[in-house]
Amino acid sequence: MPPRRFQTIVVLASMLIAGLRYGAQTEGADFNVPPPPPLPTSIAPAPAEQTESQTEPLRTDIDFLIRSATPNFDSLAAPVSSDEEFVRRIYLDLAGTIPTSEQTKAFLKDGSPVKREALIDRLLGSPQHARRMQYVFDEMLMERRVGTDIPATDWQAWLRNSFRDNKPWNQLVTEILSADGADEKLRPAAKFYLDRKFDIDLVTRDIGRVFLGVDLECAQCHDHPNIDDYLQRHYYGLSAFLKRSYLFTDSKSKKKMLGEKAEGDVKFTSVFTSEEGQTDPRVLNLPGIPDPEPAKELYIAKPAGKVRGIPAYSRRMQFAKAMITEDNVDFRTNIVNRLWALMMGRGLVEPLDIRHSENAPSNPEVLKLLANEFLAHNYDIRWLIRELALTETYQRSSITSLNATQAAKAADAFARGLLKPISPEQLAWSSVVATEFTFVTMNAQEAALKKAEPEAAAVKIHDPLWREETLRKTLKSELDVVVARFAGQGGQKTSFEATADQALFLINGPNVQKWLQPQDGALTDRLQKLDSPTELAEELYVAVLSRPPTDDETTNVENYLQSISDRPTAIREMTWALLSSAEFRFNH
Amino acid sequence: MQREFGCNHIDHEISRRSFVAGSATGAAAVGGLLTPAQAKTLKSGQKRILQIFLQGGVSQFESWDPKPGTKYGGPFRSIPTSVPGTHICELLPHTAKRMHLLSIVRSVDLKTNDHRIGRLRLEKGRMAGEFPYIGAVASKYLAPPNPPLPGYLHISTRGIEDNTNAFLNAQHAQLKLLGVNAPENLARPAGIDEEVAQRRNEFRRLANERFAGRGGQPAFTEAFDSSFEMARRLMKRKSLFEQEPSAKDVERYGSHPFGVRCILARELLNNGATCVKVTHHGYDTHAENFNFHLEQLDEFDKTFCMLLDDLHDSGMLESTLVNVYSEFGRTPKLNQRYGRDHWGASFSVAMGGCGIVPGAVVGSTNADGTEVAEREVGGGHLFHTYLQALGVDTSQDHDIPGRPVPIGDPSVAPIEELLA
Repeated sequence: MPPRRFQTIVVLASMLIAGLRYGAQTEGADFNVPPPPPLPTSIAPAPAEQTESQTEPLRTDIDFLIRSATPNFDSLAAPVSSDEEFVRRIYLDLAGTIPTSEQTKAFLKDGSPVKREALIDRLLGSPQHARRMQYVFDEMLMERRVGTDIPATDWQAWLRNSFRDNKPWNQLVTEILSADGADEKLRPAAKFYLDRKFDIDLVTRDIGRVFLGVDLECAQCHDHPNIDDYLQRHYYGLSAFLKRSYLFTDSKSKKKMLGEKAEGDVKFTSVFTSEEGQTDPRVLNLPGIPDPEPAKELYIAKPAGKVRGIPAYSRRMQFAKAMITEDNVDFRTNIVNRLWALMMGRGLVEPLDIRHSENAPSNPEVLKLLANEFLAHNYDIRWLIRELALTETYQRSSITSLNATQAAKAADAFARGLLKPISPEQLAWSSVVATEFTFVTMNAQEAALKKAEPEAAAVKIHDPLWREETLRKTLKSELDVVVARFAGQGGQKTSFEATADQALFLINGPNVQKWLQPQDGALTDRLQKLDSPTELAEELYVAVLSRPPTDDETTNVENYLQSISDRPTAIREMTWALLSSAEFRFNH
Repeated sequence: MQREFGCNHIDHEISRRSFVAGSATGAAAVGGLLTPAQAKTLKSGQKRILQIFLQGGVSQFESWDPKPGTKYGGPFRSIPTSVPGTHICELLPHTAKRMHLLSIVRSVDLKTNDHRIGRLRLEKGRMAGEFPYIGAVASKYLAPPNPPLPGYLHISTRGIEDNTNAFLNAQHAQLKLLGVNAPENLARPAGIDEEVAQRRNEFRRLANERFAGRGGQPAFTEAFDSSFEMARRLMKRKSLFEQEPSAKDVERYGSHPFGVRCILARELLNNGATCVKVTHHGYDTHAENFNFHLEQLDEFDKTFCMLLDDLHDSGMLESTLVNVYSEFGRTPKLNQRYGRDHWGASFSVAMGGCGIVPGAVVGSTNADGTEVAEREVGGGHLFHTYLQALGVDTSQDHDIPGRPVPIGDPSVAPIEELLA
């Protein structure tokens, strides 16, 4: 990366001082994907102010701020990652699995100086990326709740399509907070409410955590005892948007949906002080939203046994507007912190849902910059992920020779790549990619298609979307078992947890054994056919760990093969060992 | 139906008898009857919890807070116990003889009649929200660094999967054992014997060593390693789950599922478990309340007392908190099917062992048992009490970076009069 130009430092400094919002624009030509759909005018933010710095991409400013926040940064900083580190990392982060053997080899062989950027763009435009984001946001929004009112497949398809279209975050959240379940088109988005059984306390708390990054749990019953910023009125301000709404079962379709009454206010009492309070709907410290003068008719549909209440003035329909308003800095700060954590392995604020003045961001300038720029780019998630992936910060190696204290310091300063535990979905899919069980599966699916639709098959089997969806559908139930075993506590987080039953699953579980069977197309089958131990070691390591083996490792493989008379057994055992290794378990 | 109250004469007799029995068994323990595992566990200084969960909601009238001869009292008598002046229901004759080891809280009000909410309030000690269960908290603060068994084990047949560890690390989550079955995947797959397992694991170890050498985040890689280590230990202790209980144990504890589960619980506690929860299902007696309690408590009473005796005789009770509880009690008023319905407003729990004043009765209900008369407590008070009895300072914040969450609900306090 070129050193930062003096001119932009001046612009940056003036921005920090004046608090100006400035816009860095992406080069549209870099995108291999259709531009995002236009925003509805009501929620489109004002156009970004034009300044000189718009030629300077966000990534450069991020790297500058990360660098300048830590004295002696260079003594802590890891060099840029090797191609081997990078290719595995970027596939996991953007496509949700490790690369296949061929993808790794192709990237390592590619001599282009812009091959990283090209790969990032290719992955961002792939069906695998939409799937990856579906998983990430499903976990973030639903936290692995098992709901029954909205089928998971509908919700997941809605999420996936949203990310395929690169729906802006403010629009996605508007759809979630406005969905009542009655409108069929947006019914999947009602999962957030309906599969929390529309329990107002739960929904209120989760909206605070997931969309604002604050956990008002304790503030339900009293001002938070330890966090001065979290007040009871914050909690009740949020719940006031929802308090008039209720769960309604449509008598014909038997479907659950939301109805709403035209009256009802929120009162609360502290269990500590017995003080009473009352609040209009409001988002944290933003002004309350008083009801307008009541209309002559309070209802469009008056609530009754079989009638879903629809008030003339709906408080719930104010929620999305109040959430995504430009004044609500918390809304964009929360999501950029979450996207940063997704890519970098740790939030600028940790834990991701406990942001307050005593738990300040590790680098407030970066957080502020990201939030401002995200707004200036119309809440464009794909743009932000692309910028983050292109930073030096993201692309630094996770290898370090520093001692433990210094290494931890480097990690705190984002001066080196952090280990990211791979998610249950990444683990499940990477396991079948590594063992090439995906080929076993796709061979069978292609054969079936050729038999069923001989004419269409020739084209279809090359369609990336057909391939992606067929593979996912075919392996879903099998891999759901893996996901359930490794899911643990739901919700986006950056910590790592490992339990005995997960290890037992890897050591003795039937799934892993099955993937290691040398069926036609599987890695173990392919390796068995290689005569040279060196070549075998090479293929094994590239397939499972996305890198060639070191000389020592090649020797280890040779020794292993020599010590065991049954070659297929030896191959299965070594493949198991790498699949269960720490290097495989983390994105590094 | 009018029944005779127990009189003081019998009180004294039972109390004297059990005192003698107690010293006799105490002497036996000192006499070297400890198994090597017990001796090792005792020596470690670790404290632990045994939770007996009477799922569905045991009736307080038919157990710890009998009201014979009153409007809602039902047909059963109350009997004297080894603690002078304390009476419990006649359905618990064995427990009555060991009441000097236990204490009762008769004034629990959970402010809910919902199974799930009641259970969550007791397990988390909070009125609402995502907090770790007592067992997970115990695992975090009481288990040694490399515990021989997962910290929080639950022997049950069914039940909802709960997020028991909340924001604590997953290693503290409840590991549910289905009945006396071993955890899943404990057996090696075909073709992988000990030798194969060792050599492939050696290859894995080499890979991990190299990976750790590149200067990763030790907290992550060590947690990963320790999960394999724990798996290995569980596999080594596979026999714990496989051994047939001895004929003598079966005779004492009973051959029914609750009996063999309590034998397993004892083995797990003897072998270094930190929290063992045993669920006894079937107390949700909306119909035929009395017949059901007759059967259920017959099974509970003897089995529980055998387990209590074994803990007491081995000296383990001093470092083991024993806790018998339900998600709520049952309505005073009978319904038309001679059932009692859900009642969270005035019911009882029992506890004993480590850190608990023995033989006490805390709180009371009014004459008809329809409401708490004195010393009302909720799930938060009990949570503080159990954990403080074990030496965990529940007024402190959890040891979790960036998360200033008090271990126990800061708006309530422990039941001081129960803390030894």
